[in-house]
Amino acid sequence: MLKPEDVLGAIAAARGDAICVPTMTTAPAWRTLAPDDLSVTCVGFMGGASALGLGLALACPDRRVVVFDGDGSLLMQLGSLATIAGARPRNLTHLVFKNGVYHTSGAQDIPGGLDVDFVVMAKGAGYRNAYAIKEPNDFTRRLPTMLTEEGPVLVELHTGLAEKTPMTDRGGLPFHRQAETLRTKLRGPRG
Amino acid sequence: MPESIPASLIIDTLKDTFREARAWLAAEVAAPPRHPHLGWILSVPDTHQRTVLAALDKEQAIRVLTCATEDEATTTAAGLWMGGEPCVLMIQHAGLYASVNTLRGVAIDGRVPVFYMIGLLSREKDKDPRESRHSMVRYCEPLLDTFGVPHARLEGPDDVHLIPEYFRLARERRGPAAVLVGLETI
Repeated sequence: MLKPEDVLGAIAAARGDAICVPTMTTAPAWRTLAPDDLSVTCVGFMGGASALGLGLALACPDRRVVVFDGDGSLLMQLGSLATIAGARPRNLTHLVFKNGVYHTSGAQDIPGGLDVDFVVMAKGAGYRNAYAIKEPNDFTRRLPTMLTEEGPVLVELHTGLAEKTPMTDRGGLPFHRQAETLRTKLRGPRG
Repeated sequence: MPESIPASLIIDTLKDTFREARAWLAAEVAAPPRHPHLGWILSVPDTHQRTVLAALDKEQAIRVLTCATEDEATTTAAGLWMGGEPCVLMIQHAGLYASVNTLRGVAIDGRVPVFYMIGLLSREKDKDPRESRHSMVRYCEPLLDTFGVPHARLEGPDDVHLIPEYFRLARERRGPAAVLVGLETI
């Protein structure tokens, strides 16, 4: 079982100039680990992280985009797996933090619980690669590859519950401020 | 009486709209992104605009991405906008209803200039859309009004100038704007 904060810490150290798209319970920890202007949190439209990451990946083909999705969140827009596979963004890494519950709203079970297999779904949709990681050592070993391999790739991360949720640790910039900051950053310095 | 608009006219107008958008970006940044295409159409296929979608299949200058839902299309548009890419959503009124929370969360609260072309499938030629006997036609403009989304009707070929105007309006107001395609395109 992976600890979400450890996973995010390792990604923060290895991401380079990748754009990151956290959502739900990954948001509070990511805010602390990577307080930078190359991240944009999917907040206020649960389920949208994968599609937001897709748009960024298509607009910025020379830069890696990493989505920190949740299992409950992805279920809300499961069709995005097919949309992403159809668009074939070679620079998109889609991480699914799988804990089997809607942690933010009180840890109610998601439909299907831990039996839902996102690896099978991603492969069936047409992702270039998809696999699950359950052990910290395996995650550490495969992290460099998952941040560089040709996408779209989905990695199902079997995690415990995060220490904080958006309900227990409110804060961070509103989405519109994050979006504007990232857009400015991506446009580069003014001439 | 409303008239159908030829697909070729809409596509030429979209190209001009994207060229203008690229020119804005080039004026704003030192090194604008260089892509071989002019812009993006994000579509959840719409019966009303099917001739445009069919003609777009042959276009090299415009990239078309078919999305599974209008929620995805709207959110993907936000990502493209952050990366400096111009795009237009081509959807149907029913898809607007299906994606209202994303319209609110992404385009309105997120202050993202999302420009929609919305097909009014089943709109009667001899009736104002607000008086249609079909609820999916009748509720479209009131819903956009409720959310404060500026909109205009494309009632014939003479109205295509509204496409760049409302695209520009979305950019200027930093939020959504829409044109409603009154009759099936030809």
